[in-house]
Amino acid sequence: MFKKRAINKRLQPKSSLENGPQTEELAEPHNTSNLPLKSDDLTPMIHEKFNNTSDLKVKKYINLTIYYIENQINQQELNQNIIGKIKQADEITTETVYASIAINEVEDTDDLSYAILRMIKGSVALFIEGTPKIILASIPVKESRALSRPENESQVTGPQLGFNESLATNVSVIRRYLSTPDLCNEFFVFGTRTNTAVSLLYIKGIASEDLVNRVKHKLNQIEVDALIDSSVLNQHLDDHSWSIFPQMLLTERPDRVSDGLLNGKIALFVDGSTNVILCPFTFIEFFESREDYNIRWPIATFIRLLRIVAMFLSIFFTSIYVAALTFHYEIIPQALLVPLGESRSRVPFPPLFEAVLLEFIIELLREAGARLPTKVGQTMGIVGGIVIGTAAVQAGFTSNILLIIVALSALASFTAPSYTMGNVIRIIRFPILFMAGFLGFYGVMFGFCLLLIHLIRLSSLGAPYLSPFYPPRFQDWVDSVIRLPMKYTNKRPTLTRPADVQKYDPDKVN
Amino acid sequence: MKVLLSIKQEYLLNAFMIFFIVHSTQIGVGIQGYQRIIYSDSHQDAWISVILSGLYASLIVYIIIKTLELYETSDIYGIQHDVFGKLIGKLLNVLYIFYSLISFFVVLRNYMEVVQAWIFPEVPLWFLTTSLLMLVIYGIHSGVRGIAGIAFFSVTLSLWLLILIIYPLQHAKWTYLLPVLEADLIPLLKGVYHMTFTVIGFEILYTVYPYMKDKNKVQKYAQLAILFTTCIYTILMMVAIVYFSGAQLERTVWATLSLFKVVRLPFIERFEYVAITFWMLIILPNLILYMWAACRGMERVFTFSAKKSVWLFSSIIFIITQFVISRTQINMMNGYFAKFAFVVVFCYPLILFLAAWLKKKFTKKKEQSV
Repeated sequence: MFKKRAINKRLQPKSSLENGPQTEELAEPHNTSNLPLKSDDLTPMIHEKFNNTSDLKVKKYINLTIYYIENQINQQELNQNIIGKIKQADEITTETVYASIAINEVEDTDDLSYAILRMIKGSVALFIEGTPKIILASIPVKESRALSRPENESQVTGPQLGFNESLATNVSVIRRYLSTPDLCNEFFVFGTRTNTAVSLLYIKGIASEDLVNRVKHKLNQIEVDALIDSSVLNQHLDDHSWSIFPQMLLTERPDRVSDGLLNGKIALFVDGSTNVILCPFTFIEFFESREDYNIRWPIATFIRLLRIVAMFLSIFFTSIYVAALTFHYEIIPQALLVPLGESRSRVPFPPLFEAVLLEFIIELLREAGARLPTKVGQTMGIVGGIVIGTAAVQAGFTSNILLIIVALSALASFTAPSYTMGNVIRIIRFPILFMAGFLGFYGVMFGFCLLLIHLIRLSSLGAPYLSPFYPPRFQDWVDSVIRLPMKYTNKRPTLTRPADVQKYDPDKVN
Repeated sequence: MKVLLSIKQEYLLNAFMIFFIVHSTQIGVGIQGYQRIIYSDSHQDAWISVILSGLYASLIVYIIIKTLELYETSDIYGIQHDVFGKLIGKLLNVLYIFYSLISFFVVLRNYMEVVQAWIFPEVPLWFLTTSLLMLVIYGIHSGVRGIAGIAFFSVTLSLWLLILIIYPLQHAKWTYLLPVLEADLIPLLKGVYHMTFTVIGFEILYTVYPYMKDKNKVQKYAQLAILFTTCIYTILMMVAIVYFSGAQLERTVWATLSLFKVVRLPFIERFEYVAITFWMLIILPNLILYMWAACRGMERVFTFSAKKSVWLFSSIIFIITQFVISRTQINMMNGYFAKFAFVVVFCYPLILFLAAWLKKKFTKKKEQSV
């Protein structure tokens, strides 16, 4: 029911624009709909709406006309459950059609545009002579692949299940994790040309109403012609579209989405997209993984700290090396100076050029690895890396110490559990590298300050991006960079302003 | 001009943010080398001068907050306007904007001096100025909450520098502190007077107060900030006294930075390079808050938008930096500024409080008699 209302709401103004006022005036007094009474009049109208597409089929059976798009419907179901059943009836009226069709989802409409839309989505339209109505029976072809392992967010422990491209399947997977009637699913349609289905999921009683309304308001404001993937919707919803940082999580893990929903977040599912948007999201949460809850807390804390260190290392390590070697060689201890000098003695380039070159090669390898087919990609990555690395050192292109540093920071950037965040870390390395090359530590610090101010300014759906550090929310620190035992993480994070703060009674858990 | 301000709920700050704002504004460039100046006044008792200056600062903070509490939701611009009338009020307001700008300039110029003297003697001044002004302009645009955030991170992210005083303490000669209380009251007070340049910064309360959420807690957190700052100053003073010999300290311009020279980590030597560049984060809230106070004044007094005045002030500062070049000029500027700041921060709040208090009492009586 909800589906129909949502779609109608969006389509009504458009159809009234096209042929609204005139048809209303011309329509006969007893026929309030814009549909004709005869199929001979209706058929050209539908043909025209579909621009005479060749896969539109029109079948006549006594006073019943059947319209459908050939590739969108299940032929077997049409024969068995619709035509087969109607043939058994004595006469064909709306009532008998309704009574005989053995299909779950049947509705009737007098809005042609709506009927057209449903036909694209896999409905059969039935028209009975003399009745200005179209009966729609939904028998879409279900072409979706089976649920498989998440490709981009792998975990050692925990469920190995990833979303697929079907909205219905994805939502049902979430329903399996969260079997509660409080899980609300609201339906939206996006794109004036693509009519993409979007589902908004949240748990009533946990998610703050203010937040849900804010998302809905934002969704209603967006007017686009096409929506192919959730990552595009994500960019439409961002507070700061100029920023390099992702402000919402794109994930293909149902357990992660369920966890987010339980913490008062809001999930957006886009039909045809394997990634689900989870919002609002903070900077530090991009370095948390669902797996951290599956393993014991000291290990989880260690791994989280490791990721944070890796992030800093990845952004600043090469820059510090370049700055130290270009301007501040005084800071390098004597014992280290000798091997450093030896390894750099054959290199003809200044450190900045050397570093940028090597970083560029690493980025090249990564991008090539992502584009190549899986099996070739892995081999190419390793072989290319080793071959280019050793050859570059032997040829006197780079020093082997820098090679270690660059490889280390590349490796570190892959520890971020979110692919989008990993990308950002790799990219912001370059401007800081240049600043280090021109201004030494001063440049690195300038980059750091700029980054800090930028992060302070950012927000995700109005929630501060650096929470729980700024604004300081100390009660949330138990589950941020560190993770304490379950007994102490019994509160939901303040970030989402959850309606129900307490997860469970801390006295009743270990 | 409206005396009382009504600030939207979403712009208000938690009371304990005042701790970070006050503390980060106090700690800036003064801390880099105040030891020499105070030492030349009160020698090994210099740390007593530092504590005394902290106590006096605490008193002034008390007075400032009492003044602000008389009006509840006003800042210095509104109070001066209300107390001294339209003309004199405006004059004083312009003077306060001028003071904020001069403070900004002094912090900026001194930091650049340090960068040029220690790390980059050859990098042109205009380049360093531009880079810092860029950060300031970007920071100001993030609004009050953003500025408070910069102050917060500036304090929390630089706390680790404090741990490093362990290194000079390994070479400490504690007998340098003896005999205690050799100095008379006059040199001690002279030391307090010379601490002005280092201790000021809490006058930011005058402008930031209306943005506080629960105003009855502001006093507590502001005093805590003063306590924390004074502790750091006292510790650093003592460390400098016990680490350097007297004659050496009198010749050390940037004693705190020189202390970092001793730090020796397995992967890094000459730690002061790191410390000085890291200092950028410490002076950043200083710069941003002073600039913000000035821009806020422009907004209040002349209804000139803050975003525009940032650009105006930045270009003015940029031009002025080109004229103050030599070390002697900077020293002279610091001397004049310290005197100016002594009047504005250490004396004027008392006068303002008295005037405001009398005015309140007067008007109340008038109301009662009517």
